[in-house]
Amino acid sequence: MSLVVLLLLVVVLLLGAPIFSAIGASALFGFAGQDTNLSIVAIEFYGLAETPILLAIPLFTFAGFLLGEGGAPGRLVRLSQAALGALPGGLAMVSLVACAIFTAFTGASGVTIIALGAVLFPALTAAGYSERFSLGLITSSGSLGLLFAPSLPLILYGIVAEVSIDDLFRAGIGPGILMILALSLYCYWKNRRPSASEPFSVAKLKAAIVDARYELPLPPLVLGGIYSGYFAVSEAAAVTAVYVLVSEFVLRREIPLGALPRIVRESMVLVGGIFVILGLSLASTSYMISMEVPQRLFEWVSPYLATETFFLVALLVFLLIVGAILDIFSATVLVVPLIVPVALEYNVDPVHLGIVFLAAMELGYMTPPVGMNLFMSSLRFNKGIGEVCLATLPFLIVLFLCVLLITFLPQLSLFLVP
Amino acid sequence: MEAHADQRHGPGQRIETTLLCLLLLGIVVVATLQIVLRNFFSYSLFWADELIRLAVLWLAMVGGVAASRDGRHISLGVVERYFPRSWHRPAAVTATLFAALVTAALAWQGYRFVADSFAFGDTVLDAWPAWVFQAIIPVGFAIMSYRFALQALALVRRRRE
Repeated sequence: MSLVVLLLLVVVLLLGAPIFSAIGASALFGFAGQDTNLSIVAIEFYGLAETPILLAIPLFTFAGFLLGEGGAPGRLVRLSQAALGALPGGLAMVSLVACAIFTAFTGASGVTIIALGAVLFPALTAAGYSERFSLGLITSSGSLGLLFAPSLPLILYGIVAEVSIDDLFRAGIGPGILMILALSLYCYWKNRRPSASEPFSVAKLKAAIVDARYELPLPPLVLGGIYSGYFAVSEAAAVTAVYVLVSEFVLRREIPLGALPRIVRESMVLVGGIFVILGLSLASTSYMISMEVPQRLFEWVSPYLATETFFLVALLVFLLIVGAILDIFSATVLVVPLIVPVALEYNVDPVHLGIVFLAAMELGYMTPPVGMNLFMSSLRFNKGIGEVCLATLPFLIVLFLCVLLITFLPQLSLFLVP
Repeated sequence: MEAHADQRHGPGQRIETTLLCLLLLGIVVVATLQIVLRNFFSYSLFWADELIRLAVLWLAMVGGVAASRDGRHISLGVVERYFPRSWHRPAAVTATLFAALVTAALAWQGYRFVADSFAFGDTVLDAWPAWVFQAIIPVGFAIMSYRFALQALALVRRRRE
């Protein structure tokens, strides 16, 4: 594929063409240059029907959208508040924990800021946190939880890199907790006044637990099922979908049944968008493999990057740039097939690589020019992008330090992986 | 990219939504049935896993078509955010036309794939002809191409305010 074509594709992407169309065009142009029968693009695309685990993605996404539609976000915040609100800086930690859980279950679709921000932002400012701090906190929490099962990007990475998703689910725990702890410490340091917290009340906690009785069994059921090995990931997804359907439409009846088609459509539009990108990237990846792009990439970088450490530094810089430009799904299907073979040459564990990759992408959610969290917050809270960027900066720095630790301490990711 | 407002409703949209609901709920039911049978009756439906995989392909294509109608495909959209207003329309027209052309090419290659599968008599689910299930690839991309072409046309026609 010539440089002219590549440049043309970058231009149409900047003009706003759907990412899948540029990936499809690159595969078509690439194979055309090789005189290959172009129906190979459709044959590779059909790989979507030959990947059993894919089923997990629509089911988890649908369950997440359904949860976000009802009163679950509010109940989750009230429960976290009753449990953690009495600690100094408690409400900030409540936000972090609630956002992390919610993001893990809804994927990385930006739903968290919309669903939880509406409850958390007024609560934070009412409790005496500055508007700027609250804005930064919610913006950066919008993608926290990406590393916890059963988040969509973890599953997608496992599919693309051909790594055990169960292993990824285990590997994400340590780094995910590190990020929450680091941000909690920052929040605590920033708001030492104890006046910001409310006294702990057993009655309130009890009421919140009773209130959330239908949602509470879900995380232990799903996570317990997956981590114990009782459920395969796709089975856990089916159980989650059924559980949420029953709890929302039969037990709680807080969403009218008439809203179901709209929710299905909204969630499946997102899934369709991701899958079309994934299907066409199967074709573009197979072209790149046929051109031995990963080997060439390795031969090109190896004289400059003598050791694993140098490689990781360069990788991190590269990923931060990619994360700032591409959304996490496109970045995964495009970049992961290239870096996994190179990383293997440097003896980097692909599971560890996955966590580094996703952690770096998490930062991409809050860096300009295309950080989705920045736009979500700017829209949701009616603030300028510049203001949101500035408010998010300190949180971004804390998370960046976490990403450094995650990158250079593989044990942090791998200690739970058998 | 934003879809033209009058495309958002109509019979096509209802068909998409109905199909998406049937596919998704169908997947949920079959997958759940499979879990129940496997765990409590040590039995499994031999066709279930393959049927679900084909349904996921259909879900992807119908979801992709719906995303084209709703203007919700993932894109960078740098021009919309950082460039002056006068750039928006020409940029959107170019981007949408490009998408229309690529999806048309994909529909054509999809058709060739399905035609080959028909000629070879490929089967799925024991004895069903595979092309019936694979046909969603060319059909889906063709409808997406049609949607993008309509959107580009609407953008060109829209008078500058």
